[in-house]
Amino acid sequence: MGLENRKYYHIFTVTDSTLMFDSFYKKNNGPFLCVPWLILLLVVNLNLRTVAEEKAGSDWWSLQQVERPEIPEIKNKEWVRNPIDNFVLAKLEKEGLDPAPEADDRSLTRRLYFDLIGLPPGPDSSPEIDELLASPHYGERWARHWLDVARYGESNGFEYDQLRPNAWTYRDWVIDALNKDMPYDRFTRLQIAGDVIEPNNPDAIIATGFLVCGAFDGLKPSGDKQRKIMRQDEMEDLVGTVSQTFLGLTVHCARCHDHKFDPVPQKEYYQMASALGGVHRGDRDVPASGNPTNLKQKKDLLQKRLENGDQKIRELILKENKSAKRNNEGPQPIARWTFDKDLKDQIGNIHGKALGGARINDGALELDGKSAYVMTVPINRNMKAKTLQAWVKLNNLDQRGGAVMSMQSNDAKTFDAIVFGEREPKRWMAGSEGYSRTQSFGGEEENRAKDEFTHVAIVYKADGHITAYRNGKPYGKTYKSGSVDFSSGNYQVLFGMRHGTKAGSNLMLSGKIDRAQLYDKALTAEEIAMTSNGNFVSEAELVARLRPEQKIVRESWKTEIAKIDKELSKMKKRKVYAVRPSKAPVTHLLVRGSPFELGDEVSAGGVQSVTGSISSNFGLGPDAPDAERRKKLATWISAPDNPLFARVIVNRLWHYHFGKGLVQTTNDLGFNGGKPSHPKLLDWLAAELKEQKWSLKAMHKIICDSATYRQSSQENPKALEKDSDNVLLWKRSISRLEAELIRDSILTVSGQLNKKMGGPGYRDFKMYNHKGSWVYDAIDPEGAEFNRRSIYRTWARGNVHPLLAPLDCPDPSASAPVRSITTTPLGALSMMNTSFVLRMSRKFADRLKAEAGNDINAQVKRGFELAFMREPKEEEKKLIEDFVKKNGLTALCRVLLNSNEFIYLN
Amino acid sequence: MKRRDFLNWSTHGLGGAAISSLMLEDGFASQALKSHHIPHNKQVIHICLCGGVSQVDSFDYKPKLKEMHGKSLQADEKPDVFFGRVGLLRSNDWEFKQRGQSGMWISDLFPHISTVADELTVINSMVAESSSHTPATFQESSGFRLNGFPVMGSWVSYGLGNLTSDLPTYVVLPDSRGMPAGSTSNWTNGFLPARHQGVPFRTSGDGNAISNLFPAEKIEPMVESNSRNLLKKMNDLHMKETGTNDTLAARIASYELAARMQLAVPEVTSIEGETERTRESYGLNGKETRDFGRSCLLARRLLERGVRHVQLFSGGSFGSPRINWDGHEDMKRNHGREALRIDQPVAALIKDLRARGMLDETLILFTSEFGRTPFTQSASDKVGTGRDHNQVGFSVWLAGGGLKSGINYGATDDIGYKSVIDPVPWYDFHATVLHLLGIDHERLSYYHNGIQRRLTNVHGNVLSGILT
Repeated sequence: MGLENRKYYHIFTVTDSTLMFDSFYKKNNGPFLCVPWLILLLVVNLNLRTVAEEKAGSDWWSLQQVERPEIPEIKNKEWVRNPIDNFVLAKLEKEGLDPAPEADDRSLTRRLYFDLIGLPPGPDSSPEIDELLASPHYGERWARHWLDVARYGESNGFEYDQLRPNAWTYRDWVIDALNKDMPYDRFTRLQIAGDVIEPNNPDAIIATGFLVCGAFDGLKPSGDKQRKIMRQDEMEDLVGTVSQTFLGLTVHCARCHDHKFDPVPQKEYYQMASALGGVHRGDRDVPASGNPTNLKQKKDLLQKRLENGDQKIRELILKENKSAKRNNEGPQPIARWTFDKDLKDQIGNIHGKALGGARINDGALELDGKSAYVMTVPINRNMKAKTLQAWVKLNNLDQRGGAVMSMQSNDAKTFDAIVFGEREPKRWMAGSEGYSRTQSFGGEEENRAKDEFTHVAIVYKADGHITAYRNGKPYGKTYKSGSVDFSSGNYQVLFGMRHGTKAGSNLMLSGKIDRAQLYDKALTAEEIAMTSNGNFVSEAELVARLRPEQKIVRESWKTEIAKIDKELSKMKKRKVYAVRPSKAPVTHLLVRGSPFELGDEVSAGGVQSVTGSISSNFGLGPDAPDAERRKKLATWISAPDNPLFARVIVNRLWHYHFGKGLVQTTNDLGFNGGKPSHPKLLDWLAAELKEQKWSLKAMHKIICDSATYRQSSQENPKALEKDSDNVLLWKRSISRLEAELIRDSILTVSGQLNKKMGGPGYRDFKMYNHKGSWVYDAIDPEGAEFNRRSIYRTWARGNVHPLLAPLDCPDPSASAPVRSITTTPLGALSMMNTSFVLRMSRKFADRLKAEAGNDINAQVKRGFELAFMREPKEEEKKLIEDFVKKNGLTALCRVLLNSNEFIYLN
Repeated sequence: MKRRDFLNWSTHGLGGAAISSLMLEDGFASQALKSHHIPHNKQVIHICLCGGVSQVDSFDYKPKLKEMHGKSLQADEKPDVFFGRVGLLRSNDWEFKQRGQSGMWISDLFPHISTVADELTVINSMVAESSSHTPATFQESSGFRLNGFPVMGSWVSYGLGNLTSDLPTYVVLPDSRGMPAGSTSNWTNGFLPARHQGVPFRTSGDGNAISNLFPAEKIEPMVESNSRNLLKKMNDLHMKETGTNDTLAARIASYELAARMQLAVPEVTSIEGETERTRESYGLNGKETRDFGRSCLLARRLLERGVRHVQLFSGGSFGSPRINWDGHEDMKRNHGREALRIDQPVAALIKDLRARGMLDETLILFTSEFGRTPFTQSASDKVGTGRDHNQVGFSVWLAGGGLKSGINYGATDDIGYKSVIDPVPWYDFHATVLHLLGIDHERLSYYHNGIQRRLTNVHGNVLSGILT
């Protein structure tokens, strides 16, 4: 049949979310609009008769039961490592082709590291599959693949693009489930119906984030028609995502008419729509669970040990400091709050009271930036000159207007406060009512206070001079304005709030205060220097004093405490973004997809041509509750003998391991998708997955252990001639790292990767509301928090990442089962020029100097080991040494990060 | 032909063109691109007016509306408007006059554009599927109401490739006051490869026109060029080791292209070299017209240097105070202010392209996601001052090669509300645009998740009535 005929069915291959328009429109404008439509239908019907055989029937290959195929005989028996190889080699031998030799250790190690954990190997790493599969980074790596398929984003998209601050819980669930090797059938069931299958299991509720993590238009017009159309669009997204992800079927193509290519009648689309009809989205509480007592005890014990240990070292350091400097800690404050156990003034009686959830944790006052603050009793002495001093750690440096410490009149009308980022972003200032005593200090942007406790102080002289200090040194310049007389009994101190009698927006500080002091005099610069580290020992100072073995022990305690905290936080009642079920309506078949032409009532059900022991008829009435519908759907999809269910996932695994699936269209195993290059191998893998009790890790192991996987990328002219796309797998195809892996690798080799797992993502954007819509401007913030793996990036849909986007990080609006890899000048520009790459080049150079000393050759050698896992070759040595002498080590590091060898795997 | 071949497209039809465009961009020898038919135009300027331009105040002349001013809309059912408030009919706020030789009716809202009436092909019978800005805007640009589909500029890039490798194929010039609603989604490549994404040029403030064009920190020119040389040498050595490979070679080439782009972008954006007369004509000396005039002039310069598709935005996101055409409250103030910004520059652009002999090969599109209601957004017994969204009838225009110019196509009813003669959905508009570029909209497709996706979904009729 010629191309011309194909064109006509081609017209109808597409899901038609828009055909309804014709019928909608007809109502408004009379029948004549229908005419072209009828003609078109006629043409199509005529043509369909001739193309009827060009579609899949229920005998389509992917719908047939999976039978474990026999392992084919082959000639070259030595090459084979496991049955996968028999299937591959049988085909190669049939074509008269040889497989490529095994890759060298270095290539194999790099391949396995990136493939399984998504991070570059260290110079001395070796390819241990089991170790890599056991690494927590495995979950991070493979969750990224899954989130691509799930169209995961952390904001609504569309016009308003509101952030979903609790969406990350689903991301963490995926990572965790993969790390635990949750059986794939359970993994699936929980994502479709976890909240109704295990309503008391918080994790099961979180899993349903899968259904709702896509884009969502929250702006609903007042008109009922438009609302109905929008809900139907949402249903299409749901049915499409579920059916493509787990079944590789484009059921949503049957929204307006029977599927033109696969055996899916329109009615069955509505059966699935009915099954998902109760799905709505939003934040919901997950209940407290488990018994935290034991964990809490364990944490207290560790905490105590840690504090005791730290205390000793701290005292030691303080003692040394004292004897080294002078026997004087500086002047005595009138009040000191250490926040070790409570809010009491340790010197006098200016005790504080916690409000709005302020609490002591880990020896510091915790402030949430929303409601928490501390207010002291009124102070009984007159005060004009004064000094406010505190050690503070901020939760983020983009916050605006919160105060660390404030002295305010009881009526809150007059105040002097240490304020962060109010008038000038990221800078400290002396806050006051109506800015009456506020001017810019002209100090530098704060960049450390997020990572460590930072000393800040403001000194108010009686004559109106105001000076700020940071870490004991003057912060910017002194200026002169007015001064305030606070009279006895009429004023108080606040922590965490700029001024006021109740919490309010932009007044609140988000961070921790380790301690604070109040003086009734203006301290001199010298006195500040003395008191600034008087009794305060920074984390860095403390760690520096530890012996290596002490460091290790302390680190392990801290890790353990963090782990327990994470567990504890899971046990608390908390908010997650997930399915919020509501009463599922009775679903009707919609004639031509139009919500205004109701057809018959439809009950929840599956697709009949998907065979298996569980019927696609769920036996439910049209008015069955949401829970029943989704439970049945989950059970039907994950049935052990659903032939699509197993085939689809092993094909996905294959795709990610080899860069190409056995069926290249991993979301579509229907007529419009590709056909398998190795159908028997696909079935063998599907059968094996069941045999392995749906363990994905077992499948990774088998695949990575095969000789097929271990081939080198060596070219073979004969094979190239026959099969230039390497469909037959006669070699390893060279592949480029995905965007996130490039960023994570850059962080790793420059020694900056922060391996902290889980929790809310870092935000590399400035978000602000512009006329109702949220805007996410990409920024490149510095600091450990932002050096986490890219999977922890808060994925706001409107935020186009300057480095990741040009490297094909997909638009999370649609499922991206296969990422495109493009090579463009814009990609080159971002790799060469973004502030991130330049900064990491510098850090990389610093690392080389620290690890290899001053010798250029040693530095270069170390650089090559870290970036490429090899030493420089002879012909490179001279070239590069000369380059470094002329251009510096940082310039070399930038080149290494940009090189093909760094971002390609062979 | 085997089915696989058909789906892979690698050897047939426009697939070949798409592939050669990749080669072009990747620095391989330029190949002639095969079109489906002889194209009239090779480049596009798409002017997007965000918020909804009132047809009855601009290009859709309805004397009856004036007569009916203050009367209620006689309709069988209550119009399904966005805010649900249907006030009384309001006469057009700008007078209409016949313009040019064609006698086309255009209102005084656009006095300068009126002077090029004979170049325009106005469609008065547009219909959209949504009365909500974002879905409607998505459909205007991508054919779909949902996020995640490639926009027209990306399809054009995919279908026709680039004419130069020194500049991006598809350039976006946002309104200097801010991004449109749904910001970057408006130039997304969707599921098309990333190289088809629109590249936004900065239209306000200082700095380079595109991000990352130069290092974020100062690097000595010598160090920079030495670094490039070293990178090239190392990549060559690496390729010697791995064996020649297209992928690796393409990446090496991409760095050379990047260097060329570093020269080309500052050159194209430095409009200082234009004559004073040109600058004056585009309104660069006027306070209101300066910003959009700059964008229009830049658009011409981009086309001259081989950019395939330039998209200009008039209007930013929604909300209050308004910075777009969303005249809910006060049409006179809103449309008056917005039109002033663009009227002179757009007219100058058309005249300039004509004078340079470029207009016959350049398609100019002037569109809005929907129109506005002939009745006001107010209590049902009041003539208010604002108009609500109208998806069932609005006007757009085209100019360029292959078009019957100086004509109006289709019509709305007597009061300019619903399209009644030859209604044109976006699919037909898109099909026609592709046709004018030599592309058969049914054959320009890309496989994604089980479907050969098209700009026109399963629809689209080329509007032969507006073609020469």
